[in-house]
Amino acid sequence: MRPFNHFTPTTLSEALSLLAEHNGKTSVIAGGTDLLLKMKAGLRKSNVVVNIKRLPNLNCLTFNAIDGLKLGALTTLRELTRSPIIFEHYPVLAQTAHIMASEQIRSLATVGGNLCNAAPSADLAPPLIALGASVNLISSAGERRIPLENFFVGPGKSALQPGELLKEITLPPPVGKTAYLKHSPRVYMDIAIVGVAVRIQFEGDRFACREARVVLGAVAPVPLRAHQSEDVLAGQNLTEERILQAAKAAGQECSPIDDVRGAAWYRRRMVEVLLKRGIKSIQ
Amino acid sequence: MDQIIGQRVPKLDASAKATGKATYGHDIRLPGMLHGRILYSRYAHAKILNIDTSRAKNLRGVKCVLTSADNPSHLFGYGKDNKPFKDIARSLRDEIAGVVAIDPDIAEEALELITVEYEPLPAIFSPKEALAEGAPLIHPERKSQSNMFHSYRYTHGDLGQGERESDVVVEASYTVPYVTHACMETSVVVAQFDLRDHLTLWSTTQIPFLLQRDLSEALGISGSQIRIIQTAVGGAFGRGLDIYPYEPIAALMARKAGQPVRLAFSRHEEFTAGPARQPVEVTIRAGAKSDGTLTFRDVSSVLDVGAYISWGSVTPLVMMETTASLYQVPHVRFQADCVYTNNLITGAMRGYGNPQSTFFVETIMDRLAEALKMDPVEFRVRNANVPNSETPQGLIITSCGMKECLETVAANADQGAKHTSSAPVSDPTRNMANSRPLIEEDPPHLKRGIGFAATLNVGGGARIYRSDGCGATVKVDDFGHVTLITGSTEIGQGSETVLAQIVAQTLGVKMEDITVLNSDTDIKPWDVGVHASRTTFIAGNAAQLAALDARNQIFETAAELLKAKPEELQSYDGSVTVKNDPARSLTIAQAARSRHFKEGGKVILGEGWYDPPTKLVDKDTYKGNISAAYGFGAQMAEVEVDTETGKVRVLRLVCANDVGFAINPMAVEGQIEGGAQMGLGYALTEELIVKDGKILNPDLLDYRLFTSADMPEIKSIIVETDDPTGPFGAKGVGEMGGTPTAAAIANAIYDAIGIRMTQLPMTPERVLAAIMQKETTE
Ligand SMILES: Cc1cc2nc3c(=O)[nH]c(=O)nc-3n(C[C@H](O)[C@H](O)[C@H](O)COP(=O)(O)OP(=O)(O)OC[C@H]3O[C@@H](n4cnc5c(N)ncnc54)[C@H](O)[C@@H]3O)c2cc1C
Repeated sequence: MRPFNHFTPTTLSEALSLLAEHNGKTSVIAGGTDLLLKMKAGLRKSNVVVNIKRLPNLNCLTFNAIDGLKLGALTTLRELTRSPIIFEHYPVLAQTAHIMASEQIRSLATVGGNLCNAAPSADLAPPLIALGASVNLISSAGERRIPLENFFVGPGKSALQPGELLKEITLPPPVGKTAYLKHSPRVYMDIAIVGVAVRIQFEGDRFACREARVVLGAVAPVPLRAHQSEDVLAGQNLTEERILQAAKAAGQECSPIDDVRGAAWYRRRMVEVLLKRGIKSIQ
Repeated sequence: MDQIIGQRVPKLDASAKATGKATYGHDIRLPGMLHGRILYSRYAHAKILNIDTSRAKNLRGVKCVLTSADNPSHLFGYGKDNKPFKDIARSLRDEIAGVVAIDPDIAEEALELITVEYEPLPAIFSPKEALAEGAPLIHPERKSQSNMFHSYRYTHGDLGQGERESDVVVEASYTVPYVTHACMETSVVVAQFDLRDHLTLWSTTQIPFLLQRDLSEALGISGSQIRIIQTAVGGAFGRGLDIYPYEPIAALMARKAGQPVRLAFSRHEEFTAGPARQPVEVTIRAGAKSDGTLTFRDVSSVLDVGAYISWGSVTPLVMMETTASLYQVPHVRFQADCVYTNNLITGAMRGYGNPQSTFFVETIMDRLAEALKMDPVEFRVRNANVPNSETPQGLIITSCGMKECLETVAANADQGAKHTSSAPVSDPTRNMANSRPLIEEDPPHLKRGIGFAATLNVGGGARIYRSDGCGATVKVDDFGHVTLITGSTEIGQGSETVLAQIVAQTLGVKMEDITVLNSDTDIKPWDVGVHASRTTFIAGNAAQLAALDARNQIFETAAELLKAKPEELQSYDGSVTVKNDPARSLTIAQAARSRHFKEGGKVILGEGWYDPPTKLVDKDTYKGNISAAYGFGAQMAEVEVDTETGKVRVLRLVCANDVGFAINPMAVEGQIEGGAQMGLGYALTEELIVKDGKILNPDLLDYRLFTSADMPEIKSIIVETDDPTGPFGAKGVGEMGGTPTAAAIANAIYDAIGIRMTQLPMTPERVLAAIMQKETTE
């Protein structure tokens, strides 16, 4: 790894001015579980690394029934797996975090890092989008808030502007039931070949769907809302046939590639299987 | 008297390793030590027209830069086809230049400053292309003027007769992939020259004495100028069985720099520049009579050995052994073509051909059982190798627990298993262990099945060099402390511990009274190396001989002091006593001191040399008794196949292994479980994906090893047959653990879903593709 300057600011304004000052050649480091690998492999060349782990208030985890959840960018995956708030109101996030990486990595890896890394396979993106998450981005120029589904721009690319930090993620109060299913050859220490999140707001019993959200991971340049599949489900009885139709639609509307992790045909097929299973698991 | 052999003694180096106190190659720091990095070729086949190193040399912190101009004039390696730095690149891992700098990052940066002008040459990425008429030659300097390195051809019996006598004949083609050792510790070497121009090399090699010779060839200096010191080894699995260019390169760097140099691979380099297990394409035909007797086996295979020949190209000898001698087969033909390509370098890897061949032989056995409508275990037992027999290949089998191993895993197959199957459960001739009820609440997409496979492995050394010997000395000091100096090598397999147990038991001392020295060619007596599951057997016999010699010396002195005859004495717990009169006793320390301090005294120094009663196989027929004993094993795998995703989950693996006698049952289980971990990866997840000579997944994320979380329950059962030649009846066990696993799993998949997988690894995608193919043809 090449030498670089490492800063550890302790206030947000200090961090933001550092980022503004060293515009362009700077990398933000949180857990470092994505960044350091890239730097070691020479895929990311940074002269300045700004460590944000000491910033106050970036690891909040608060919930109330009106505003929903506020999740600081520095919240670790491990915290997601252990927080009573998450367990009670958004259990899918705990389940998702639990099958990510390993205990050691989860203790370092942050929610913000998972999203800002903007991998199409990032496991937290599909369930968070399904839950209706927004992200708060802050820079020396001010703060803005965008829906998480608009945050991803392409593989490794997000809406973050140079000098901008992801501060927190906000979720509306939970509605309906949500599941995330991940297909990978290994249970732990593996990247999703396909990830499927589905949230269903039921009508009366569990057999009718008022509204659905389907979000697919690792089958498009960005985590993908499967709108057609959602339309198949919305306002319908969740019959076996209807579920299969939605699964098929999702398989159609994604655009996976062939790579060492899996062939495109296989990924489409897994989208179908996982969506079908996901819906059944919350019914 | 406490028994020491047969006990679950913890490994002597366990606490040092568990607490991070062991000194690995990566931990070595010498005064003035520099760091080397290697520049590899950009093309799989190219002529180097020009190298400009001036910018690299001028980078601050760079000590020197090396290229093929720094090569000694000698070729090295098993095929005598390799050089440290190349002027023609024959694969993407070919070394073009090297940088020595004050730290590895500067050396790395300097690599980027070297400009190389290449003239790309047409490259060959499959044996088929390599053997085609008019194919470009990868080594035009070779006399044969062909890309065929060697074609192994073996027969016994009369294949035609075998065919005629067969009531059923089955045939199939299989493909097994490139896999690699993926050692926890990446390759590392530290080289230092002294003022006499003597080289000391800190190394993770498995063959210190052969490496001395190989290096002397590569460097053009005498072997007596080379001292190899082995560090703690973080995994070897066959990786250390050869000389690889980075070793002479480190020496050349140290010499040019005039300072010690460390060359340590990155993980990426470990994948791309380290050796891989040869991929094999094979077609196998086999037959049997309706009573279940095997008639013939006919195997033809092609191995891609890459651009340079290593000892790994000799693996067909082991594939041949499985083909000719696993089960009793009267008529056999075997052919293996080892072909040069511009692909990866291949080498030796645990099992040395056996995991490949056992996969195709044992899945063919299952097809035969099915064709005969026989129970697969019963069919195997009927044809199993038996004690005190000679196979047509000339293997002299003495102790043999193959039948017991098969019956043991079959007897354990039923436990707790539930079986739902779309495979023809109605067929009453299916596995005898399969008569389990269909459990209704099982999701319909999950199908369970069980499968079996057996293995035969050399267990008493393997004479692939003219000597299969090992030397040992046992020294006793004034305080009764015993030092075993053995030629053998500890690579994490636990040989140190087992050898100490053998010496402790033989001499009658406690485990804590023994130190084992085994890491320095200047100190230890000669040994071939650690391979072929040979150390417990060969080095164990040598250690036992040395201990007996030392004991005789102790008894000689003790007899004088105790006024008894040496044959009336016995020793245990560090004391010598008269057998019928235990009150007459002294300590071994007393005996040693008395020997040391008397006039005309002597030192207690026992010596042992063991070279087993075996032969090199005939160079034309490949027949002969290569090993002094043979180990046997069987595995039962229970799997659950997800028919919608193609994912195969191994629920349980039951392993039974005939190890003769388990000197340390815990260490045996460790070998079996560790072997199974590699076998599971070979079966289901591990594969170097190679395109145009380039590895597309050179990292531990996309090269998927089984992690502890993926491991199934493993039941390891030790079968003891008391081998007549092994130390205390023991045979080797180092390689067997992973050999039959892929076949057992493939057979279990068939049992579950009625599909024969013919390509490893059996990934979800491949299994699902096979399921879909079956659905469309049905
Ligand atoms: C062995 C292993 C297993 C893994 N398994 C999984 C898995 O199963 N699923 C999965 O999705 N991922 C996995 N990962 C990837 C990684 O661990 C996660 O993406 C993790 O959440 C990244 O968080 P981090 O804090 O370590 O990010 P870092 O590496 O610190 O940062 C990642 C990127 O985000 C930027 N960044 C971080 N925080 C901010 C912020 N607040 N504002 C602006 N930019 C920011 C950094 O500059 C960098 O570009 C694995 C990684 C490893 C090494």
